[in-house]
Amino acid sequence: MNFAQPVYYPKADYIETDTGNKVSRRATIAGPQNIILGGKTIISSTAIIRGDLRRTGPGHAVVISLGKYCLISEGCILRPPYKTYRGNFNYYPMKIGDHVHIGANTVVEAAMIGNYVEIGKNCIIGKFTMIKDCAKIADNTVIPPNTVVPALVLFSGSPGQFVENLPESTQELFESQTKQYYNRFQPLEG
Amino acid sequence: MPASILYHCTCTSVPSSSVIGAPPAPFTAPPPQHPLHAFGFHPLPTLYFCEECDDVSGYYCPNCLFEVPSASVRAEKNRCARNCFLCPQCSNTLSIVSSDPPLNPDNRHPPVINSVGDPPFFLYCNYCRWDSAEAGITFDKPTGLALQLQKTEDSSPDTLEFDRLKEHFEPLIRISHVQPTAITAHTIQTHSHSALSAINAAASSALARDVPGLRRKRVDPNAAKDEYGAYYRSRIDSISGGGEVHAEVEWLKDMAQEEFLLGDVSRLEQRWVGSWVQSLKSIDLKPLRIPLHSKQTKRCPKCRHILIKPEQKSQSTRYKIKLMAANYLPSIDVLLVPPLTAQPSATLSRATGGKAKQSGAAADDANAGQALQQGKTYAFQLAFTNPLYEPIQVRMTVQRPQSKQGKRAPFAVSLPTSSFSISAFAEAWEYDDEEDAEINDDDIEDMLAGRGTDGSLAARDSGKKGASNSTVGVLERKANVTKVGGEVVIGRESDGNVQFNVLVSYTYRADDPTEETGSSAAPKTAVSGGGENKTFSFYIVVDLGTISPAS
Ligand SMILES: [Zn+2]
Ligand SMILES: [Zn+2]
Ligand SMILES: [Zn+2]
Ligand SMILES: [Zn+2]
Repeated sequence: MNFAQPVYYPKADYIETDTGNKVSRRATIAGPQNIILGGKTIISSTAIIRGDLRRTGPGHAVVISLGKYCLISEGCILRPPYKTYRGNFNYYPMKIGDHVHIGANTVVEAAMIGNYVEIGKNCIIGKFTMIKDCAKIADNTVIPPNTVVPALVLFSGSPGQFVENLPESTQELFESQTKQYYNRFQPLEG
Repeated sequence: MPASILYHCTCTSVPSSSVIGAPPAPFTAPPPQHPLHAFGFHPLPTLYFCEECDDVSGYYCPNCLFEVPSASVRAEKNRCARNCFLCPQCSNTLSIVSSDPPLNPDNRHPPVINSVGDPPFFLYCNYCRWDSAEAGITFDKPTGLALQLQKTEDSSPDTLEFDRLKEHFEPLIRISHVQPTAITAHTIQTHSHSALSAINAAASSALARDVPGLRRKRVDPNAAKDEYGAYYRSRIDSISGGGEVHAEVEWLKDMAQEEFLLGDVSRLEQRWVGSWVQSLKSIDLKPLRIPLHSKQTKRCPKCRHILIKPEQKSQSTRYKIKLMAANYLPSIDVLLVPPLTAQPSATLSRATGGKAKQSGAAADDANAGQALQQGKTYAFQLAFTNPLYEPIQVRMTVQRPQSKQGKRAPFAVSLPTSSFSISAFAEAWEYDDEEDAEINDDDIEDMLAGRGTDGSLAARDSGKKGASNSTVGVLERKANVTKVGGEVVIGRESDGNVQFNVLVSYTYRADDPTEETGSSAAPKTAVSGGGENKTFSFYIVVDLGTISPAS
């Protein structure tokens, strides 16, 4: 990782917040008042985050919360899960932890994603899915609705299935990889 | 293939084995041509500081995450005994749904996943839409489903057969285990002989049932009839004999006449992964309880020292004990320096226009594939990152590349032969990546005084910024990372991979020699005023890529 090159982006294309979040001007952030970003999180261009799909009723509601050092890659869609319960249609909040990387063109409707989770590209993460800490979802995986992905495992396939246990060092490894990725993501002037 | 580094695990040492950290003398890593080579090297994060050996420290269901007490795991046959089932068609996790509201008549909308509602309840797959009502399985209440299905499982002929075999053989096994001293050689022989006969008889009978043509052939007439008789009769009672098999054959024959769908017949894996034999007819497949997962304690096979001890809670990712090699050994990255004629790599990976190239944490395309050409010389760099809170002194020894008989070595590697230092890890480095930190080498030199660090002065001189890429020696020092340069000369008629082993030895001063470092190996120690120098050695394999013929 010491030889990993910087990833450059045109400076004008991203807005950087006080807490170091970098949000592409070409991402679609609907209902920003209902979205929380934890800091040092990157939202790439053409990503879509649907903070507007919120539970009916008055007042503020957190629809989607993301922790720190997350990456939402190009073309990702984050959409809160919904269901009809006792005859009432409603959206439910989506909570994503720290150090979570989500690959390009993946659609997420999970209820909960823990910390240190890596999700590949072109995945579908079904409604109300729960992904526990240090889990990994391989590229092109389809996780059906209501699935539980336990901690420290690799899931792959369609429907996504358990493949193997991940090493005990997964947390440290992914923590340093996500931090380094943030540091490598550098603006290019002009 | 980008250039890569793997670490040697000493369980494949030749000729004698030892653990990581042992003195270098008695072991060597298998050279790249050695048959063990492919199995002996692994990425650093997967290695422990001793060696692993697994011990289950707890079971849990991967779906409902219930922690299953060890005492009940066996009785529940290693599967979830609550409400977790796998779809018999696609292995997805099944949901429990009620009959309220009624299913849409056009069946285009999936049933509402909801376990409160009107009975009967049934299991539904929200991936392939299999539902248990079609297989004739419904439930009166939405809880304790496994218990409600227990009858089906327990009354299956295969379960009965297994249970009775177990019943029959368990006492025999107990006899041969419990009192080994009290049993004479003669009784052991008698017992094992009769046990063997019973096994033969059981096997012949099972074979005769499944393959009717084999009936009455090659059955030992003296096969312990007395012991087996009772078991055999009870088994006959429990199954429908060959009738079931004949019915299946008839069904298959009928299919051949009519038009049929391939999906009508169960796939092999659908029938074999269960704890009992499933139907040949896809429509009759029964849902399977979800197999349990386990958390494992891992021990060193040599000294039984615990290396990994997870916290009890099933979804906790914390450990009471965790001795990973990555916490002790420097991590090493490799870069094959692009030839001078090519563009500098920094500009290559630069974003053009509005499209920033993003690859995420795991991807590292700095070493994008590059062919090595015959007869050329290439520079490469190794970056050492020190995970310890003490500075370390590193020395490398290249294991000479093996040549085919009578031929010259396919390539020659040059690496600095003198030792070089790497600063201690400090939490602050992590946060100030961009800041240039100058290190005071004198501290390190002083501390390790008395050891032969003949190259350290040179290293200090070339340690300044802006050193050339092509030199062999220390190129850069920054925080707890030291980069060294090497060179490889490819032979004119060489082919294959440029892959070579390097023995890496590192020395640090342990402030408190009695402190638990987690190492089972006896480190080579050299007392030098106040502290103690400890040296550890391990092998890595450096893979720089494949040689391509000169164009
Ligand atoms: Zn090994
Ligand atoms: Zn369960
Ligand atoms: Zn299914
Ligand atoms: Zn040991």
